[in-house]
Amino acid sequence: MNFEVISPKTTPELLNAIYDNQTENFRIGAGFTDLINQFKTQETEGLILINLTQLKDDNFKLIIENKTNFQIGALTTASEIIDNKSIKENFPVLYQAASKLASTQIRNVATVGGNICNVSPSGDMTAALIALKATCHIIDCDGNERKELLSSFIRGLKKTSLTKKEIIKNITIPKNAGQNLKSGFEKVGSRKSMEISIVSLAYHLQLTNDGIITHAGVACGAVAPTIPFTTSACEFLIEKNINTISENDKEEFAIKVLEYANPISDIRASDWYRKEVLFNVSKTIFGK
Amino acid sequence: MIITFKINGEIKTQEIKSSLLLIDLIRDVLRLKGTKPGCLEGECGACSVIVNGAAINSCMYLAINVDGKEVTTIEGLGNNENPLHQVQEKMLENGAVQCGFCTSGMVMTTKAYSDKCIAEGITPTREEVKKSLEGNLCRCTGYAKIIDAAEAVYKK
Ligand SMILES: Cc1cc2nc3c(=O)[nH]c(=O)nc-3n(C[C@H](O)[C@H](O)[C@H](O)COP(=O)(O)OP(=O)(O)OC[C@H]3O[C@@H](n4cnc5c(N)ncnc54)[C@H](O)[C@@H]3O)c2cc1C
Ligand code: FES
Ligand code: FES
Repeated sequence: MNFEVISPKTTPELLNAIYDNQTENFRIGAGFTDLINQFKTQETEGLILINLTQLKDDNFKLIIENKTNFQIGALTTASEIIDNKSIKENFPVLYQAASKLASTQIRNVATVGGNICNVSPSGDMTAALIALKATCHIIDCDGNERKELLSSFIRGLKKTSLTKKEIIKNITIPKNAGQNLKSGFEKVGSRKSMEISIVSLAYHLQLTNDGIITHAGVACGAVAPTIPFTTSACEFLIEKNINTISENDKEEFAIKVLEYANPISDIRASDWYRKEVLFNVSKTIFGK
Repeated sequence: MIITFKINGEIKTQEIKSSLLLIDLIRDVLRLKGTKPGCLEGECGACSVIVNGAAINSCMYLAINVDGKEVTTIEGLGNNENPLHQVQEKMLENGAVQCGFCTSGMVMTTKAYSDKCIAEGITPTREEVKKSLEGNLCRCTGYAKIIDAAEAVYKK
């Protein structure tokens, strides 16, 4: 590895660094848990690395409760997500996804922005954020800002809508309508620890006091080139009662989730196995 | 590029290449060989060190990013001159070391985790202790004795 590093301390310095290097080959690095492994197999001679680790800007770093949403800085680490009480209480799906990502040592540095921008179909925090209907807030080096729903920000395998001028500043998640939730993250791998998912299912259901589903967000990981938000499966759940949902409806929901799956066979699992697992996991999210 | 950081309690200023990894700073520049290179891909935890209180994989961390921070390696705990750290004592008492290649990583991860638990007044369950070590592989012991040792840190 042999590259130059720029370590901006402030946002203006960061935007200048992006602006000044538009004609250069540059990469942005946050926690480096994806990048360093990439750098080892790529030619890095002449590469410029814009290093976000030393940036001091709360808009990039903190979890902030706003009036209608929670804002999560792109540089928030998986460990910071786990330690945040509001996240654990309001968005168990995100808490669980961050807890199941890799190991303590990786979680202590791996960032939310890096997980999204690595655009892996098995990005655990990304799947949770898609289920939560999160929005990306993006700035560019000319000072423009824009926002886009995360599910459309991701355009395909290893593809996002980000241009060379842009960077993610933070992510917002709309607040829950009430306090009754059925929210969680199921991750199936071939062993318990340090495993990239064979299949993951992120679900966040909001309920009335009587258990009627009013809002549903379900996304599945590692079964398609992107992480699909399963719109028709979610619509199917609205107005069903979670306490009395029938076995038939559970199956129908699982069939609808499966319509979004288009998995590959690789060393971890065959496409057939991935579909079987997704179907079975989908049926079980409603509890006993 | 010049960085200033604390290593095992001592302030150091060092000129380094900007693409240097922390593990290479520790082993090759500072000649502290207790931190082990295993997989060099973030999988095995043999290279674990503590940066500002948190265990990280030094093979996945740029050396320039310890600028202004505090790094602790296995050499910063007990050694021949200084009394062993409690985590090291428990590893010995429980026979948790065979070839020793994973041991400094196991000790550093366990130290960071036990410091956090003690600060928060928590006594973790065996399951939680196990989870805290999910990023550390051992090819020799079969883990039971390492987990016994890590759990014993909380027993008086
Ligand atoms: C051993 C190991 C196990 C792993 N296990 C898991 C796992 O279980 N689940 C999982 O989801 N992931 C896993 N990963 C992958 C990785 O840890 C995560 O994807 C992590 O969240 C990446 O974040 P980072 O900050 O390290 O990203 P970096 O490596 O710094 O960056 C990743 C990509 O995002 C871009 N980027 C970063 N921040 C921004 C930003 N703010 N704006 C625009 N672009 C940005 C970078 O340019 C780069 O292309 C694992 C990795 C390793 C090495
Ligand atoms: S050598 Fe760093 S995790 Fe294996
Ligand atoms: S004691 Fe040999 S690898 Fe753990």
